[in-house]
This record gives sequence, C-alpha cells and structure tokens, in this order.
Amino acid sequence: MDKILEVKNLRLYYHTNKGAVKALDDVSFDLYKGETLGLVGESGCGKTTTGVALLRMPSPPGRIEEGSQIFLDGRDIMGLSEKQIRKDVRWEEVSMVFQGAMNCLTPVYTIGKQMLETLQEHREMEKKQAEKLIKEYLGLVGLPPEVMNRYPHELSGGMKQRIVIATALFLKPKLVVLDEPTTALDVIVQAQIINLLKKLKKTFDLSFIFITHDLSLEAEVSDRVCVMYAGKIAELGTNQQIYGKQGPMHPYTEKLLLATPLLKKKVETLSFIPGAPPDLIDPPSGCRFHPRCHKVMDKCKEEIPPLLELEPGHMVACWRCVK
Amino acid sequence: MSINENDVILQVQDLKKHFMPHQGLLQSLGTKTKKVIKAVDGISFGIRRGEIFGLIGESGSGKTTTGKLVMKLIEPTSGKIVFNGEDVTITDRGRTKAYRRQVQMIFQDPYASMNPRFKIRDVLGEPLIIHKIEGDRLRHEEMIIKSLTEVKLNPPSDFMGRYPHMLSGGQRQRVATARTLILNPMMLVADEPVSMIDLSTRAEILHMMKDVQRDLGLTYLYITHDLSTARYFTDRIAVMYLGRIVEMGRADDVIDNPIHPYTRALIDAVPEPETGMVDIIKELPISGEIPSPANIPPGCRFHTRCPYAKPVCSEQTEPELSDVGNGHFHACRRWKEL
Amino acid sequence: MSMKDFNFRLLEFWSDFRREKAGLIGLGILLFSVLVVLLEPVFLPYKDVNGNWRNISYWEDNSDSAPPAWTNIFTTKKSATTRQFDKPAVTEEEDASYGPVKMYSFPYKYGYDLPPLDLIIRARASGMALMLLELERPDGLIVNLGEMYRDGLEDDDIRFAIDTESKANVFDFAREYASAEAISTSDAQNIKPSYILFSKTGTDMLSARDALKGEYFLHIKVPAFLLEDENNTLDDVRLVVTGRVSGILGTDTSKRDIYSGVVAGLKWALFIGIITSVISVLIGVLYGIISAYFGGFVDTAMSFVFEVFVSIPVLPVLIVMSAIFKPSIWIIIASLIVFSWVGPVKTVRSMALQIKEETYIEAANALGATKWRIIFKHMAPLLLPYSFANMALSVPGTIVFEASLSLLGLGDPTIITWGQILHDAQVSGATLNGLWWWIVPPGLLIALMGATFAFLGFAMDKILHPKLRTR
Repeated sequence: MDKILEVKNLRLYYHTNKGAVKALDDVSFDLYKGETLGLVGESGCGKTTTGVALLRMPSPPGRIEEGSQIFLDGRDIMGLSEKQIRKDVRWEEVSMVFQGAMNCLTPVYTIGKQMLETLQEHREMEKKQAEKLIKEYLGLVGLPPEVMNRYPHELSGGMKQRIVIATALFLKPKLVVLDEPTTALDVIVQAQIINLLKKLKKTFDLSFIFITHDLSLEAEVSDRVCVMYAGKIAELGTNQQIYGKQGPMHPYTEKLLLATPLLKKKVETLSFIPGAPPDLIDPPSGCRFHPRCHKVMDKCKEEIPPLLELEPGHMVACWRCVK
Repeated sequence: MSINENDVILQVQDLKKHFMPHQGLLQSLGTKTKKVIKAVDGISFGIRRGEIFGLIGESGSGKTTTGKLVMKLIEPTSGKIVFNGEDVTITDRGRTKAYRRQVQMIFQDPYASMNPRFKIRDVLGEPLIIHKIEGDRLRHEEMIIKSLTEVKLNPPSDFMGRYPHMLSGGQRQRVATARTLILNPMMLVADEPVSMIDLSTRAEILHMMKDVQRDLGLTYLYITHDLSTARYFTDRIAVMYLGRIVEMGRADDVIDNPIHPYTRALIDAVPEPETGMVDIIKELPISGEIPSPANIPPGCRFHTRCPYAKPVCSEQTEPELSDVGNGHFHACRRWKEL
Repeated sequence: MSMKDFNFRLLEFWSDFRREKAGLIGLGILLFSVLVVLLEPVFLPYKDVNGNWRNISYWEDNSDSAPPAWTNIFTTKKSATTRQFDKPAVTEEEDASYGPVKMYSFPYKYGYDLPPLDLIIRARASGMALMLLELERPDGLIVNLGEMYRDGLEDDDIRFAIDTESKANVFDFAREYASAEAISTSDAQNIKPSYILFSKTGTDMLSARDALKGEYFLHIKVPAFLLEDENNTLDDVRLVVTGRVSGILGTDTSKRDIYSGVVAGLKWALFIGIITSVISVLIGVLYGIISAYFGGFVDTAMSFVFEVFVSIPVLPVLIVMSAIFKPSIWIIIASLIVFSWVGPVKTVRSMALQIKEETYIEAANALGATKWRIIFKHMAPLLLPYSFANMALSVPGTIVFEASLSLLGLGDPTIITWGQILHDAQVSGATLNGLWWWIVPPGLLIALMGATFAFLGFAMDKILHPKLRTR
C-alpha cells in the first residue's frame, strides 16, 4: 500500500515566557492511502497539535522545530514556503475539521454564503456553478439544499457539523484531519456522523486522521490507533493489536482501557491512573509516563524509551516491553 | 448500607417546567398564542435513601432542568417535590435556605463552579459563612480540613491557600465535592460531574464520590448523558426524552433489557471498544434529531423518530409509565409487540 | 484579601502597567500634578492668590493685560518685567533738610528698551509716616520723586505710585533738560513719569524715550526723629516695578497673574474630577449590577430610570440648577454626580448579566447565599478593575463639565477653576483683544488633565480587562 503521509521526528514547541512547552517531541508515524489513523490521548497530550502541524499552521507561539519532516504523498512539505503551502497543500491536499468548528459558523450570514466564500477563496468559479456544487455537497452530507438559505442558529448541532464536514471536502483533499468531530454531540447524532464519515471516506477515497479522547469511539472508526502521552507516542498498532484479546502492551494504554466504563459489560471497579499529566515545559526525565506508571522500573526514570516495532506493525515505547 | 424500598427521601410528582420565551412588545401584540417551551413536562420519580439515582438523556431532554428544579434554583410550573417527608415545592426564604443545607449540588465544570478569585479556603468557607455555622475562624478551619480529608486531598494544608486554577481537573472536582459535604447534606445533585475530567482520572473521581456516599450515607441524583458511567455508578436510572421519563428501573435491568425503543436506540448508538467494527456502517434504529421542546409531537412524543411507530402511537394520548414488574417502568404502548 | 495578596496583585499590575507607554506618561503627569498641589506655595508667586482672586486691590500693583515675560525673547524692543523687591539695603544718612535719616535703598538693574509702567512703594506703618523718595540714575543724576506723608495709621498698608503721585516732580526734573518748546507743549499731568525717569536726558527727552540702561537706586529716606517716637513704626518696605510684561503667563485685564490662577486651579480640577468620578462610578456600577442581577421588574424599572437620566439634556438642566441654588463647589459636584453616574451603567449591566450566568454564581445560589452576598462578594469584585478604569476615564469629562459650567458663569466664586479663568477671559473679550495668554494656558491644561486621566484609564482598561489584552 502507498503511504499518503509520513511524519518523521516531528517536534513542535510553544515558546512561552516561562520556557518552551514541548508539545510534540519526536513524533513519527505513517498513514496509508484509504486508512483511518486514530490519535488518542488525554487533553494536552499533543493530538490536536499533531493535526495542526500537518497543515503547517501551529498557533503562535508554537513553532515546528528544525529536523522535523512531513512528507505528503512523497513531497516534503516542510521545505515549502508559506505561499506554496497555501496554494497547494492547505485545504487542497489536507483539510481539517477543527474541534468545535460547528460553533464557529458566522451567525450573521446564511450557510450558503459562508460556504460560497470558502469556495471562492480557493477556486475561480461562477456563482451559479459554485451554488450547484454546494448543493451537491450538502446532498452528500445528507442535508437538503434549502439549508443554504438558513442561518446557523436555525440548525441543530448535528446539521452544523455536517456543514463543517462538507466544507472540509470541497476542494477534494486526499487527507482529512478530524479533531473531535463528535465530542459535543449526543450519542445518537454521534453515531449518525460516524456513519456519514465512513460513507464519505469510501465515496471520495479519503484518508482520515481521527483525533479523539474517546477510546471506545476510536475502536469503531480507526484501522490503526496511535496512543499519545505528554507529547510523545506511547503505542501505535492496529485496531486488533490495541483492542484485541491479547490487549495493548504499553502500561498507559492498558490502564486507559481499564478506566473506560463499558456499557454492555458490567465492571465491578474501574481502575484509574493516579496523578495528572506532567508539565511539558519541564517534562519528567526518562519515560514521561514513569511518575504515574504502575510498572515503573529504575531504567524508566533515566532513559527515554525508544518507539520500537515489537511485532509487525505494533510499535511501543516502553522499557518493560523490550525483551 | 442496604436500601429500604419504602424509605423514599425525594419524591417528585408530575413536575412541570414550562418556559415562556421572551417577547418584545410588538411581538406580544402580533401573536396571540405564545410558544411555550416545555422543558420538563410531567415527570414523577422517587429516590430512596442511600441510593444513587441516574437521570439519563440527550441535550434538550430536560435532565438539567429537572436537577435545577430539585435544587430549587428555579420554580416549577406545576407539580410537587417532597423531600424527607416535607413538601418543599413552595417555600419561603428561610425554609429554602434550610433546604439547601440538606441538598447540595455538584456542577459539571468544577472550575467554573468556583469563583476564580477565591482561594480553596474561601471556597470551602463560604457555605459556613452563608449558613452562619457557629464557631470562630479556627473552628471553621478545622471543618474545612475535615472535608478536604473526606475527599482525600492530602495533606489539606497544601491546598487551602491555592487558587482553583492551580489545581488539576480531578482535584478541583474533589474541592467542589468537599464544598458540598461541609454542611453535612443528606442528598447531592451531581450534574455531569465527570464529563469534563480526563478519562484517566474520571474513575478516580467516581470512586471518591462513591466512597463519600457510602461513608456518609448520602443519596445522589446523578445527571448525565453518558450511559456507560451511569451503569457503572448508579443503582437505578431514569431515561428522559423531550421532558418526560420514558423508562426507569434498576440500571442493569434497563441497560441489559431495554424496553422502550428510545432506550434501545441510545444503547445501540454507544460505541464499544470492539475490534472489527471499522468501516462497518452501523444500522441505526432511529433517525433524525430530538425535536424542539417548543413543538412537542402529539401522542407518544417519540413517535416521529420511532422505527416501530404505528398510527395508534400518535393518535392516542401520551402513554404513562407502567411497571413490568421488578420496578422496571416504561412508557411504550406497543412494547409487547416489539 | 490579605495584605500579602494585595501587594502581590499590585506588583503584578505594576509589571504590566510598566509596559504601557501612554499609561506611564499619564501617571507621570498625574504625579507631577499632585506634587504641584502639595507644594503649591513653592510654585505660587502670589502666595495669597487663593483668597484674593476676586479682590481687585490685591492685584493693583500689576499692569493689566501684560503678556508673559518670556515674550521678550521674540520682540526686538525688550519690555521691562514686573518685579518685586522686598529686601532694601538700610543705611543711616544725613539729609539736608531733615538731618539724620534712615535710608532704604532698592537697586534696580534696568536693561530694557521699554521702561516699566510704574514704580510702587509699599510699606506697613503705624502712627505717622514720612518718606522722602529719590531715584538715583546710572548717569549719576538724582531725581526727587516727592514725599509720602501719611498720618493716623494703625498698622496700615501704605502705597505710593510714582506714576500718579510724582508727576510734578518728574516734570520738574525734565524741565531742566528738555527744550523749552517741548516743555511748553506739555504739562505735568500728561507726562508718563517712568518714560522720563528711564530715558537719557536731553532736549528731546520728553518724546525721544532713549532708554538709559544701567543700575538705578530707589532711595527712601525716613527722618530718624520719626522713628524715635514709639508710636511710629515702619516695616515691610517694598518696591514693585510694574512691568509691561509679567510673570510666566502674563496678567489679565483685572491685573491678575494668570500663572498663579492656573496653579491654584489645579487642585480644584483634580478634586472635582476625582471626587465626582469616584462617587458617580461607584453608584453607576452598583446600579448596573443590581439591575442585572435582580432582573425582571426591577431591571425594567431601573433601566427606565436610567433611560430617563440619559435622555435629560444635562447642560441646560445644570444651568437651571446652578441658577436656583447658590453656586457652590458642593452643589456643582452633586449635580455633576446626578448626571454622570449613568456613564458605566450600560456596560456594567451587560457585564453583570454575563457574570450572573457563570456557574459559580449558580453554585453560590445553590449553597444558599443571599442576593447581597452574591452581589458584593462574587460580582462586584470582578467589576472592580473595570470600575477603576472607568473612574480614570470619566475624570476628563467632569473637569470639562465643571469648566463649561464656570464658562457659563455658574462656578463657585470662592474658588479658582480653569473654567472660571476662561469665563473671565470670554467676558472681557480676551480673544478680540489678542490676550491669548489668558485663554490658551487654562484651555490647554483642561485638555492635558483630560489626556492624563484618559491615558491612565486606557492603560488600566487594557491591563485589567483581559479581553482587550493583545498577547
């Protein structure tokens, strides 16, 4: 299978007054064509930052550090100028559905006008033609064409999210980053949106990066899952390797799964991870998870564990797992 | 502690809350009938002493409004609330204040529920001042320390001088819980207490709340949209749809053997960490979204989205809750046929 | 809040404030103004200006409508400036007619082209006073200026103006040198003594006015026998040279020193500005919070009252009010408050409506907190920063308002305000007569004081109002 995305040693630091927040440190992963890769972790683990870095638009004072490499369809986008990125990468090749984007629709314009504006920003197009295209895309996300004349406040959360998704697909990108696309929605609407995304992926032959904090949801949408902790990848494996019978390898993933309450299985006691995620200005030495880990060894406190492929396609960064 | 089925601490009877939308002068002249938003439209339930009762629903189901009604933060349009054998639906100021000593609330966002300019000491001291709890500063300090110990924030002295923003999400929810405990209440209303908390510490907070409940013999009204934590945390649950309870019973009964089509749909929609679900489009037994509470469908209010709806559902009056035995209630006419 | 916290917050505020240039400029000017008010006597050339602004005799030694002294820099013919001498050299001398005399001598260096308008001798005396006045010129000539004789004094101020009382003597002096033709066409009444006294002698000295520069001495001889009598005392002998230009900011048509007026007006500007805005902002903020928090009928009623106050045309009403009540500083402040408390209401109400929806307000409510506790403990402290900024921002308005009232002649006559100075200027047609030094300084100061508080207000608003922060 062809790789659509290759990320190597991605480092993104936020340079604040108090020091550099090491939001992403040596993050490397690949994405194959037609695949959905899930980025999962607690808030502040760097999953959104990764998504934003793929569009090369870190929010200030963030900066992608020297030595980071992002290959999109074989092309190194780190070497491109901002102008080129805007011209042929951002929204053209990679688009993103931001968290809470559905609440960022302008309340004073109709949906049609807002979508038209996005479209005309990138494409020279006659108004009639553009409107036809908008209607087509509204249909694809399961909305009637009348929605064009509605204002955001007249629509439900689910409808707004569909509009945001339609807007992200306008320019026919190959890769879509979905940042918590269903978090603010109710379960039934969430299921509807997930179904829609799966359908769209097939129709447009898309690749997804699906960012969420919900492990259960990730299991349902992602081919491969990348568990992040404190700006680093803890574990990366196929859906089967993470959620299957054998269970995950990294103690963090293991605990996180045990902390997830299940609906259909009654669990007597849920486990939890004591403590809180570390301060990324001055992260713990060695493995960043060691202060909260129940399987900690002396080595964990001193040396940073490398992300090693312990079985085909299953990468883990844990000294315990290195035999 | 064992729960006595007949020892009901909170009884809600046919409670209704209808909101009148704000209208300008011209609007009120123009339209004859105001559109009433029926946020809570006739619900009845009883919570037993020492039990954790879950109120489940999507946004717009009226679960938060119910919580506020029970807290007496808003006045009901009609219906009755009986707490500990006393009708508290309408109370004067002194009685309301006394009621609030017995029933306390934990909010969804612990950070937002504390004044950012208050130190933890002041946050916890506030209820003591409000209720004029006897004792000097030192005595109050002792009580604050005791309640911080109850929620396992150790050592308490480390936290007293901090501001809420200096704590982690889990610690904040512990402080919020400590604030409710300081007055020795009988019941807590918890509105989505863990939804803003990271997964890794969510269980920790739920454990803490359960421990406190067991140690102090409290009763909880747990309001949530999350069926999974509800199953884990609660003894009994009630599922709300558009201002009404559609199903109620022991948490395990309701989730393992749902009767109402809406409950079934809710359960089916919850994702589970099972492998092999990728790229499979799940059949959803329900379509569309929850209608506006200003425009409630006639008859069974779920019939517009119900896959099993027959004309009878919309033509007859609204179905009442009925017991299938075992304290498992539902509000569906056609349940036997399903 | 404990003292330590307060200090910490203050330090934090200061570290932010330091970065606001405009704010620092404002603070600098404000501190300087406060310094000026505290050390007012140091800055005042006329120490008793505060009680004597409207006392004409207090200013009689000055020249009227004199431009500021520094205008000499820009003119080709330099004018003598107004000066006061109060430390004469005292010597014992012999006088031809009175025998032993006590002589008070004032040296006066004259280096101008246009002579002073008058020389005024002042003293405080009891009993009988007799002074023989002489002017010793740089060319060695001594001009007899006549004598001042007063009797029956009881520690009174005595005054002798050469311009009016020595005309005959000076004419006699001129007669010795001027041509007979010139003398015959003038008489003692229509000469200007100072022109003759400070001009070179010669036949055309009545008309040529060729300035004689150099050191002059004014001698005042008091017969010794007079002073031997215990009933006669003479103290505080002073000389005032009434110049054509005067002081830092000149004089007005009533001979008042404008600089003194302006300095004395500063404290009133600050006082009225600060008192009025502090009180009215406090009222307005509380009004806004209460209106927002109680909502419903209370809100409707309070909003209505607010609208009424906003729509009253303030100036006409104030004019009527000032006309009915005897204008006094307190009435003015009270009426300013009555109309300026509405300033912050709208914003505060909308902010309070937002704060009211915060969960912690609901939480306090759920704990059983009373309305007043919520208002004072939870809502008001959040609006405090805004209030401070608003206070600073409303000071300029009040200063201008007071000035407008005074300009309309409705000021408190017992105090000096910049507005009143402007009012007097307007009444006397200062603009028509080109007395710019009467109008520009108070006008500029009103603007500067406004800018000072506006700068402070903007800086505070930016720091204390996190939404405006650009970081």
